[in-house]
Amino acid sequence: MIFRVAWRSIWRNRRRTLITAASIALGLIIAIFFIAMAEGVYEQIVNDGVRMQAGHITLENPDYQMAPAIDLRIGDVENIRKFIKKIEAVEEAKLLIWGQGVANSGAGAVGVSIMGVEPAVETKNSPLARDIVAGSYLAEEDDRKVVLGEHLAKELKLGLGNKIVITTNNARGELVEELCRVKGIFRTGSDEIDGYFIQIPLNFARKVFGLQADEATQLGVILKRPQDQPPVMEEIKSTLTNKNIEVLPWQQILPEVASYIRIDRVSNWVFQGLLFVIILFTILNTLLMSVMEREREFAVLLALGTPVRKLKGQLFLESVFIGCLGCFAGLILGGLAAFALQIRGLDLAFLMPEGVTISGFAMSTTVHALVTPPVFLWTGGIVLGAMLLLSLLIMRRIKKISLAETLR
Amino acid sequence: MVKIVEVKSVTKDFGGDGIITRALRGVDLDLTAGEFTSMAGPSGSGKTTLLNIIGGLDKPTSGTVSIEGREIHQLSAGQLSRLRRDRIGFIFQSYNLIPVLTAYENAEYVLMIQNVEKEERRERVLRVLKEVGLEGLEHRFPRELSGGQQQRVAIARAIAPEPALILADEPTANVDSETAGSLMDLLRRLNEEKGMTFLFSTHDQAVMRRAGRLIRLQDGCIIEDNLQTGRS
Repeated sequence: MIFRVAWRSIWRNRRRTLITAASIALGLIIAIFFIAMAEGVYEQIVNDGVRMQAGHITLENPDYQMAPAIDLRIGDVENIRKFIKKIEAVEEAKLLIWGQGVANSGAGAVGVSIMGVEPAVETKNSPLARDIVAGSYLAEEDDRKVVLGEHLAKELKLGLGNKIVITTNNARGELVEELCRVKGIFRTGSDEIDGYFIQIPLNFARKVFGLQADEATQLGVILKRPQDQPPVMEEIKSTLTNKNIEVLPWQQILPEVASYIRIDRVSNWVFQGLLFVIILFTILNTLLMSVMEREREFAVLLALGTPVRKLKGQLFLESVFIGCLGCFAGLILGGLAAFALQIRGLDLAFLMPEGVTISGFAMSTTVHALVTPPVFLWTGGIVLGAMLLLSLLIMRRIKKISLAETLR
Repeated sequence: MVKIVEVKSVTKDFGGDGIITRALRGVDLDLTAGEFTSMAGPSGSGKTTLLNIIGGLDKPTSGTVSIEGREIHQLSAGQLSRLRRDRIGFIFQSYNLIPVLTAYENAEYVLMIQNVEKEERRERVLRVLKEVGLEGLEHRFPRELSGGQQQRVAIARAIAPEPALILADEPTANVDSETAGSLMDLLRRLNEEKGMTFLFSTHDQAVMRRAGRLIRLQDGCIIEDNLQTGRS
């Protein structure tokens, strides 16, 4: 009977119930949409960052992180790579030789970051290989070929096929100079990358930096699913016998990206939380009104001998019904909106014609959401929980009803 | 004779802004089983206040009220709630039906909170609805019923649990005189058939004439308490 009274009571003022449920749904739609969009952006940054650089998990010399120097390399990389590629969750394992140097042309000299890469692996994985705007990306058979950023090419007044001299120190500390030719020019949209990076084939990099055939500065592990990072790291650590290799998560390799995501995620949740608090006040107001205008009815029920706990139960059920209704609508509509954004993406180029970089990584202006079950569970759970807390506040009014005065 | 209600030296003061209004001034009243008693008096004479105190909806400032020998204002909130549920039926001037429940469900409500078995509930509710003349209207909501029909539902709700005492505050005030007469005939018949004790307040002379006992209140005091000829 209490169930029946509660259900019918919420439909007595259909408009108010629908407005309350719509407020809840709207709050959820906004929260789900923006959280999923932010998660999509984070995934895109991480995905681009780790694929362009040293993977979700990086194996390197324990001292390399503190002072990246070419002599801090790791050995036996092919055997290690073979074992890592056997792990089910691993999509790819790539080798990098990463050093610093100077790029010279007839127009001048610029300090650069020199990255020795495996062209076949990068072509498959790195966004940089897809951002070639002139010429073409490196190939396995290339020797003395470089690809460089558009800004750097402009600064050094270099075009396709032009000569470029790379000056650097090799692993023995000797100064070396190598003449190369420009094979391709990339444009990622990031000033940092386009004005500072050059890539050369891995084998040529070994020659430049004086590394042996089985050496690299980093071995990057790209995972099929980023969330598998902790167990895969554990598996690699437990199998590695070489104490001169450290296994690091991408969050330590790209700390500024990790910090950006952490701060942005928290501020996003705080913003959604504040928005929802405002909505909750509206809901509290309507629930309170619905109780106050029915005080006489509650007084009658109490006069007939209804236990206070049953009346409280009725109010609790009313809040649960409205909360569930709003949550159901919000989760469905918010989910559909976020899912559409995941599939189709939203091109924000009209808002950011100059492009956007986050922590030095160029972002596509087309944003895709990332819809994950925790987003639904968290947002839905918080909203429903808040509704139930509100109902506890509302219930307190029942005890304040004076039967004689209310029924007068 | 079994005493159903025993009111001893009850006073009731209402205070506000430093002014105290004395609504009841030392009222003594006994009601025995099966009595059909009317309370009359001008507005502000204390009729509703006395009904509220007897029904446990309000507390006296001083004095005691006992229902079937239990002093009700010594009871806990839960005990008082159960006493109202099981032993007292209320009929209000403005019906006070639950608008989202049908006539059947309104009459069933108290039986439901008494945890009466479903089959027994059904049998008792259909019987009382028939007794108050609402056969065939069981599934109508209050808004679909006339004032007189709504008051009959309220009567059915009050008598369905078969309480010892029924308190009715101006039960005919919101209906026309013809309906008022038929409602009073109904209450009188239920009183005679079921032996329930009735205490109701009224302004209506025709209603007063139907009562077996007539009590007059004025300024919070009982000024007249008479058995009426031909009535019990």
